[in-house]
Amino acid sequence: MKEKIGVYICQCGSNISDYIDVNRVRDRIKDCPGVGLAKITMFACSDSAQKEMIEDIRGEKLDGLVVASCSPKLHLATFKSVALRAGLNPYNYVQVNIREQGSWAHSDRPADATDKAIRMIEAGIARVHLARPLEPIRISTVNSVAVIGAGIAGLRAARELADMGSRVYLIEKDHYVGGRTAQWTDLHDTEKSGEEIISDLYAEIDRREDITLLTGATVKGMSGSVGNYEMEVELRPRYIRPEAVEERLAEMMERCPVSVEDDFNYALTSRKAVYAKYGTARPPGPMVDRAALEKESAFLAEYSDCIDLEQKPEIKKFKIGATILSTGFDPYLPPAGEYGYGEVEGVITLPQLKRLAALHAGGSLSHKGKKIQNLVFIYCVGSCQSEGENKYCSRFCCTAACATSLALKNKHAVRQIYHLYRQVRTYGKYEVLFDEALNQRDIFIKFDETDPPRVEEKEGKVYVTVRDLLTDGEELEIEPDLVVLITGMVPSSGRARVAEVFKAPLGRDSFFNEVHPKLRPVETVIDGVFISGACQGPKNISESVQSALSAASKANAMVSRGEMELEPTLAEVNPEICLWCGECESVCPFDSVQKVVREDKEVARINQATCKGCGICTPVCPRDAIDLIGYGNAEMESMIDALIKRGEDHAG
Amino acid sequence: MKEQERSPKMIHDVLVIGGGIAGEEASLNLAHMGFTVLLVEKDYSIGGKMIHLSKVFPTLDCSACISTPKMSETSRHPNIKIMTYSEAREIKKSKGLFEGKILKKPRYVDEDSCTGCQLCEEVCPVVVPDQYQYNLVGRKAVYIPFSVALPKLAALDIDSCIRCGACEKACPAGSIDFSQEPEEIPFQVKAIILATGYNLFDARKKADYHFGQFKNVIHAMQMERQLVPTRPYNNVLRPGDGRIPDNIAYVLCTGSRDKSVGNPICSQVCCMYSIKQAQLVMGALPMADVTIYYIDIRSFGKGFEEFYQQTASMGVEFVKGKIAQIEEKENGNLILHYEDIENGGKPVTAEHDMVVLAVGLTANSGITAEFINQEIALDPFDYIKPKDRIVNPALTSAEGVFAAGTATGPMDIPDTILSAGDASAEAASYIRRLE
Amino acid sequence: MHDRQGQGPPRILVFSTDKISDPAIDLAGLLKLHYPPTIYTVIVPCSSGVKPRWIMHALARGFDGVFIAADGTDCPYSPACTEHTGKVVGRTHEIMKNHNINPSRLRMAAICSVCSEAFVRQMKKFHADLAEMQNKTGEENQE
Ligand SMILES: Cc1cc2nc3c(=O)[nH]c(=O)nc-3n(C[C@H](O)[C@H](O)[C@H](O)COP(=O)(O)OP(=O)(O)OC[C@H]3O[C@@H](n4cnc5c(N)ncnc54)[C@H](O)[C@@H]3O)c2cc1C
Ligand SMILES: Cc1cc2nc3c(=O)[nH]c(=O)nc-3n(C[C@H](O)[C@H](O)[C@H](O)COP(=O)(O)OP(=O)(O)OC[C@H]3O[C@@H](n4cnc5c(N)ncnc54)[C@H](O)[C@@H]3O)c2cc1C
Ligand code: SF4
Ligand code: SF4
Repeated sequence: MKEKIGVYICQCGSNISDYIDVNRVRDRIKDCPGVGLAKITMFACSDSAQKEMIEDIRGEKLDGLVVASCSPKLHLATFKSVALRAGLNPYNYVQVNIREQGSWAHSDRPADATDKAIRMIEAGIARVHLARPLEPIRISTVNSVAVIGAGIAGLRAARELADMGSRVYLIEKDHYVGGRTAQWTDLHDTEKSGEEIISDLYAEIDRREDITLLTGATVKGMSGSVGNYEMEVELRPRYIRPEAVEERLAEMMERCPVSVEDDFNYALTSRKAVYAKYGTARPPGPMVDRAALEKESAFLAEYSDCIDLEQKPEIKKFKIGATILSTGFDPYLPPAGEYGYGEVEGVITLPQLKRLAALHAGGSLSHKGKKIQNLVFIYCVGSCQSEGENKYCSRFCCTAACATSLALKNKHAVRQIYHLYRQVRTYGKYEVLFDEALNQRDIFIKFDETDPPRVEEKEGKVYVTVRDLLTDGEELEIEPDLVVLITGMVPSSGRARVAEVFKAPLGRDSFFNEVHPKLRPVETVIDGVFISGACQGPKNISESVQSALSAASKANAMVSRGEMELEPTLAEVNPEICLWCGECESVCPFDSVQKVVREDKEVARINQATCKGCGICTPVCPRDAIDLIGYGNAEMESMIDALIKRGEDHAG
Repeated sequence: MKEQERSPKMIHDVLVIGGGIAGEEASLNLAHMGFTVLLVEKDYSIGGKMIHLSKVFPTLDCSACISTPKMSETSRHPNIKIMTYSEAREIKKSKGLFEGKILKKPRYVDEDSCTGCQLCEEVCPVVVPDQYQYNLVGRKAVYIPFSVALPKLAALDIDSCIRCGACEKACPAGSIDFSQEPEEIPFQVKAIILATGYNLFDARKKADYHFGQFKNVIHAMQMERQLVPTRPYNNVLRPGDGRIPDNIAYVLCTGSRDKSVGNPICSQVCCMYSIKQAQLVMGALPMADVTIYYIDIRSFGKGFEEFYQQTASMGVEFVKGKIAQIEEKENGNLILHYEDIENGGKPVTAEHDMVVLAVGLTANSGITAEFINQEIALDPFDYIKPKDRIVNPALTSAEGVFAAGTATGPMDIPDTILSAGDASAEAASYIRRLE
Repeated sequence: MHDRQGQGPPRILVFSTDKISDPAIDLAGLLKLHYPPTIYTVIVPCSSGVKPRWIMHALARGFDGVFIAADGTDCPYSPACTEHTGKVVGRTHEIMKNHNINPSRLRMAAICSVCSEAFVRQMKKFHADLAEMQNKTGEENQE
């Protein structure tokens, strides 16, 4: 119980005093038990009034503070700081809103507004009586961030974090960095090729001592809580001896007897079982496709100075304060038969076309020995499916298709491209690319989802039939050299494991989900776990980088000060009463309830680092053993008592 | 003008110009990282366009509800100094630092003592169109800009004031001050973020739509104001006669994808905000028909296509056709002429009782002229041009100057947040590299 | 056990939430949208954290009605907020029935942070309904 509470009643100019009889209020309040001082002030928030309060608190040794004025949303922080400056714990201060919920709300009934103000202030006093001083919870943070996935998003986030002063662990499941960006040439936002961009970025990463790049790495587990996570990563070997001589490696790669489909080129070509992902792939050097090479004992023996199949996976553990997920996407893979894919020869996807163009840099295109001069693009394959699984639009594809068609005509001697589309979504400035495609006389044909184009093979040739909505539904038959399915994005297969380890939630579209789609697009509900790049939803490179840097700034702000402050108004379990039933655990949105053993009894305990103080757990406890600090039964019930006290009206 | 010597130089790490959602997000990120920020806003309140929107696509969160916490967080942060009704002038780079002046325009109300009680507003006899309600209703000469303004202080519009002195007498705090003059305060910072946002396309430029002439042709921002929870009328009304409309048309790409008005690019948000408004109109006027005339529906962002499909299934009609011309009938109804593209492209007409022009976004990059010895390059559409869109998307052609949000091109709020986050990261690492 | 018994205008206790519904109630005041002055708010972080015992306490002490101004889908803590708050209301309704208290004296509705009109509408309606309930019980008592 407090003995000397100071109560200040603000007139707010006349905003309050025009309707509420402040003198009457003071007269009723001044004799309440525990009130040491009750004053009327013109503007409580003014500098002079603040100074007066500070003097009073110090001089009169006040042990509690009630300010009856405007809404706490405006000035809670103001008066908390008054308390703090006067040496009073700010949690011993309560603001009572007699303006927005008093004089203004009831300006039509001044006497009743006065009565209400008295009751509200008495409730405030009751609350201050029971208030206990609290200190913010301070936890230390490790100024290190793990970035999962070294595509363009991960590489950029890593570089920026290091420059902002955080230590970085960049973790890539592949043996080479770069993700999908490395696969594309003729990018629409830059003159450089994807390979060049990645090599340049790799060089920058390599230069920074604060970045540890781990390739061939899988995240095995993560424990701890925000600011202090411990991460465990498994590193798979490349099976190449570190001491191997470069000439021998080159010779070995050339002489390798086993060839398999090349993923990097989407199976358009094959690669050796000892290989680098592509010529300038980084970190440099070849790797061994163990499964493909295992049985070639003669070859293995011959190159035993280069290859070492005995190399074992390695486990690495390190501490981090936060994580950025940037696991990217996979191109949608059409099931066999979708628009003839996998069944009709001469039907490929946009990623395959991009690789085909990269493989024929600067010259005319051919596919399976056939010269390519006329192409049909079919848009929205695997996207915007009103019946299928992928209801979403993949965002990048219309623009990428238009940009590709410009490159095909300019560099690859292509004659004509028919764009079979549903809506052309070259949003914003990308409209220019669509316009250029129209100007180079590409043909755009609009079809309806319910009546899609048909792709058929007749006598070894591909035919596409489509009903053109722009010419009154006329049916057209096109005989292209190649049909290209403009396939969208799906979340990368690598994300499932990550989602499990980090408990990062997935959205309806099964990309990672942000906390708030408008204002917090890179944060997740898990504190200290951020998402960036295409793993959050389809994005082009520049958008992926923006989101990566956004995530980097949030992660750096969170961990770089070495310390975090958390609000102390958290839930609290009374272990005497608790009999562990787990009800609270089941409703907590933040996984903050833990079962612990205390004096041979299982009880619940709240994790202070993760509890957000929502109080959702408090009503579900069958034994009423949980309270939110500041919102305990005693506080709430005494406030209720004060509000209803006395049958009489204060209005007089 | 007050003498410069009287104002000590303001020294901060970063100057952020523009207090819309982009400027707020960038300032907060930097402040959280420990940098000090000077945020300069030319208007009376921070909040930008977003604070005036109704609900936002695709989640239909109420815009004021999600903006105000951000605004107050910005204003409360000890590392951020906000100057409203102020502009940055004569910015010069010397020895790696930026110097210049902040012009603080007179508000004629003392910021320290005004409590935002609105008593002045009540007594002021002058009524002029309220620019914050896009002229749908009136306001006084001395007024609180809008109900969720921050700072929530009165401002006196000296141009329409008749100097009757009524407010001076009414103000209990004695805050009205006719003697205020513009002030210039020097500043010095290490980096600058330009977040000056966009302008609305001026619908009058599209002469065939007769905006400003036909009363029942309004633009989308006016519709936003009619749909906000604190809306000026209590319902959606035709401005012409105050009747409740029952057949509303949206004309997409008004001033976008249109070389004839000098704006060939797509504005990136109009399709989606029109679809959103259509849903809100259906909620407010369950009996009304809503038709959206479009070229392409560009629902490309996260959750957008789903939102579009949902809207179509609610009964909003989507018609592919570019509106060539609008005519007015005597009863105020409007006749729209267009080519019915999905039915062979025949020229046809349709009658509606209210038309909403989905106006596009245009560049607002005039601030670049204030740089004295640095050139900030613009793109062909006058937006601030990124120097390297792939690797440093927020960096402008001048080292140490970054751009965020719609100052760099049309975009919606989530993209603006990402762009602002990016700018704050690039500015932060730039400063750390300087150190 | 009541401190006051059904005299005077109905008194309503409102549980509002810090970030969502209380700002709407503030806005109602700002816009001078009047509502009965015998309506009092107590702020909690989240409407899912209101305990049935507080509601029962308020009713026992003489409040005629209790209104939970819920966060609804705007809840910053949990997407399941509506469901959780609904359960609190459901459980309290059970307790009220067991105590022979008319369950319609407890209501809940989601109030977004600028839904001031909706709040005032709800309050006026609830207030009128409670007054009617009072009249009925009054008449019954007289018979
Ligand atoms: C055909 C096509 C053409 C395109 N053309 C363009 C263009 O011209 N311009 C443009 O701007 N954009 C273009 N894009 C889009 C561009 O590819 C993406 O924006 C970009 O690749 C996204 O980068 P990211 O880093 O988010 O993801 P990714 O590039 O997918 O990289 C993700 C990285 O994470 C790694 N990873 C995944 N799971 C794990 C795990 N569990 N643990 C560790 N690492 C993991 C992956 O191995 C990969 O290295 C195109 C896309 C396609 C499909
Ligand atoms: C009708 C309409 C509806 C919309 N609906 C949605 C929606 O539902 N969802 C969505 O995501 N997006 C929507 N948008 C888009 C949204 O408005 C923008 O994405 C967002 O407001 C951009 O924020 P910004 O900070 O970049 O710019 P602005 O909001 O324009 O802010 C710029 C700020 O800078 C200030 N400023 C300008 N010049 C100077 C200067 N020289 N000095 C100092 N300050 C200056 C301005 O006063 C302003 O405060 C809509 C747009 C319109 C037109
Ligand atoms: S100027 Fe005076 S009267 Fe007007 S709002 Fe401010 S304090 Fe109130
Ligand atoms: S967003 Fe839609 S309406 Fe706006 S300019 Fe682009 S295509 Fe036109």
